[in-house]
This record gives sequence, structure tokens and C-alpha cells, in this order.
Amino acid sequence: MNENRENSAKKAAERRAREKLYCTREECGNVLEKTFHAAHAHKRVVVTRHLPGKLERLRALPRKHFHPLQHELHKKHKLSHKTLFYVKEYGPHSNVAGTIIKESVKILLLASIVSSLGGFALEHVKAAFVAIVPLVVLLPALNDMIGDYGSIISARFSTMLHEGRVRRDWWKNAALRKLFLQILVLAIFTAALGAAAALVVSHTDFAVSASVAFKVFAIALVDAVLLVTVLFAVAVVAGFYFFGKREDPSNFLIPITTSVADFGNMLLLALLVTVFF
Amino acid sequence: MAEPKTAARAGFFDRDFREMFSSQLVSLTGGVIAGAALAAYTDKLLLLPGMLIILPGFLEMRGNISSSFASRLSSGLFLRVIDPNKVKTKIIEGNLAASFFLAVFVSLVLGLVAFAFNYFFLHEVYWKIVFLPLLAGVIANAIEIPLTLAATLYLFKKGHDPNNLMGPFVSSTGDVTSITSLLIALAVL
Repeated sequence: MNENRENSAKKAAERRAREKLYCTREECGNVLEKTFHAAHAHKRVVVTRHLPGKLERLRALPRKHFHPLQHELHKKHKLSHKTLFYVKEYGPHSNVAGTIIKESVKILLLASIVSSLGGFALEHVKAAFVAIVPLVVLLPALNDMIGDYGSIISARFSTMLHEGRVRRDWWKNAALRKLFLQILVLAIFTAALGAAAALVVSHTDFAVSASVAFKVFAIALVDAVLLVTVLFAVAVVAGFYFFGKREDPSNFLIPITTSVADFGNMLLLALLVTVFF
Repeated sequence: MAEPKTAARAGFFDRDFREMFSSQLVSLTGGVIAGAALAAYTDKLLLLPGMLIILPGFLEMRGNISSSFASRLSSGLFLRVIDPNKVKTKIIEGNLAASFFLAVFVSLVLGLVAFAFNYFFLHEVYWKIVFLPLLAGVIANAIEIPLTLAATLYLFKKGHDPNNLMGPFVSSTGDVTSITSLLIALAVL
């Protein structure tokens, strides 16, 4: 008798969970498997092993589609988009490692191979390049720095597009002009700082003459200024293109600009080493 | 009615500028340390045929994988799907396994690209260039991935937003561990 009562109470709780989406720990009792916190609703969102109703449908949807159900759940139940995304990607029964590998492997391979293509150019002038020790010291720092600026430009420009702060006549936009100038000033300053640090670090193994110091500074500055300008142009063109296609530019701009940054940096370094040395 | 203060109207050296500058200083320091190690062992490392092909991709990969890993962890922490005091969970273990697999796989591909370059352009069969990034990838990730996990959880527990801090942290530590791992792998092989 008691067992029947317990079973029916459990079934009722499960039904409530499916119907209401939200239920308290007391209401849902033992059926709870995971609890999420919906930041906007200030409620505990309870999800059973088999996600209740619409959440289970959401999880099972192919990830390529931005289904209206996602928007409906966000609007109706005040669940944040991030929570819904997480439920969809990493909910119960999902293969976390498999999902990450499947989604990341192509873009990682592409980014690494594009970065390496720049190395082909530098490999051709290897003898001249490795003979200038300050440039070897500067190489990882310059690579990091240009890549970081690519990420910053991409992230900031994507946000501006989402907020509707930038239109097609982008060259008239004061905020965008300010961003470009800020990045340019930072790039010049950090490139000069990096070149100075590289010259100081390498002075014990390498005779640094005034002419070499000037060339190292010139290479670092020309590389930084040219690449920041190119990255800015790439981010603006690609950003408008993906935004026009109703895609989130954040998902595309960072891999594109960081790959262009690495490839361009190695290519430009090879060119500048040939010109200056 | 006064217009709201927009980003364009704020000063040139505003908070954004200062944040970018400080994160770049951290990144620059890591880069110069890695570069100094690279310069010290140029004869052993950079003079290997195809090494300059591997190097940018190898350094880039470490940042890409660890930054994404830290970003996924941060999202999970903020959504309370991940408990900062509990490491042995399905999501964290899945993330660790995926990051490690991706790093090893991409390292192998980079090695094969460098081998192909040597074979087709330099007409040289140099198998070491395939195994060098592979072994270095295993070593670097055995250090970098747990370090990223620990740092993200620690920063979150201390009340910081790991999204703002993990980028420069990962790029600076990533460069140093990558170069060190390449040197260790070279000594082993």
C-alpha cells in the first residue's frame, strides 16, 4: 500500500517536473539529477535524468539549427541563452568529449595549418633569421601579440555589431575609429617594448650594434602596424558578411583573425628579414 | 536632456585601454621568456629542418586549446553546472579528455605537414620531425591542461571572472611550456 503511494507520488512529481519545468527540491523529491540556476529567474531549475518535455526535445535537436524552441524557452521561462546552450550541448546522455572534439577539430586543424604555412616562408630565410638572435627572441612574443590584437578586434567589433552601434558606413563611426587608434597605439608601444626586451636579453650572445638595433625596432614596428591594419580590415569585412548572413560573428572572426595574424606575421617577418638583412 | 556617455566620448586611455595594456604586458613577458629559451637552444631546435613550420602552429595550438578549455569551464562555473570544489565530474573529465586528444592529434598533423615540407621541398626524409611535436604535445599538455583547470577553478573561487584573466595567463604559460616541452622531447628523441 505504502509502496503504491510512494510510486504514485514519484510519478506525480515527475509529471509536475515535465509540465512545470521548474520545481523545488521538495516537490520533485528523488527524481532530481541535476540542478541549474537560471540567473534571470532567480529560481532553481530542476532537470530530471530524462530532461522534462521541451528541454529533452531541445537537447535532441541537431546542433546546426537554431531552433525557435530555444527562443521560446528563453522568453517563456526566463532561462538564459547560455543555460539553454549548455543543456543542448552537454546535457545528460551527451558525450562531452565527443561533442567538443567534433566541434573543435576542424577549426583547430585549419588554424594550426594556416599558421604553419607562414612558417614555409620563414623556413626559406632560416639562415638569415636565426643569425639575428634578437629576432628569434622576439618571434613568440610578436606572434602572441598580433594574435591577441586579432582576438580583441574581433570580439569588440562583434559586440558593436550585436549592439547595433556600427552600420555599413563604418568609417564614420567614432567608436570604431577610437578602437582602431587604441589598438594601433598599443601595438606600436608593445612592439617597441618587445624589441627593446629582445635586444637586452640577447646582448650577451649577440653583438648588438646601433644599425642592428634600428633594424630590429623597424621590423617589429612595421610588422605590428601593418598587421593590425590588415586584421582590422579583415574583421570589418568578415564581420559584416557573417552578420548579414544572420550568423554570430564572434564564432568566426576570432579563428579567422588569429590565423591571418600568425600567417601574416611569419610571411611579413620573412619579407622584412630579406629586405633589412 | 544630456546624451549618455558613449564609448567614443570616454577618454582615449580609458579602462579598456588599461586592461588591454596590462594583459599585453603579461603576454609579452611570457613571449620574451619563451623566445630567450628558443634563442639559447637555436642550434639544437631551430636548425632542425622544418622546425619553423611546426613552431607557429604549435604555439598557436596551445593557446587555442587551453583558452577554449578555460572558457568552457568558466561558462559552466557561472551557470553552476560545474562545482568549483568537485573535479571528478562528467563535464570536467570530458573536457580534459577532449583537450588532451585534440592537442595530441593536432601535434601529429603538424609533424606530418613539416615532414611533407622536408620531403617535397628539401628532398629529405626526416622522421624525427613527426615524433618531436607529438611527444612535445603530450608533455606540454600534461602540464598545461591541469594548470589551466586549477587556475580557472582557483580564480573563480577567489571571486574573479576567469574569462578576463585566463587569456593572457594561458598565452604566456603556454609559450613557456611549449618551448620547454620541445626541448625535453628533443633530448628524449
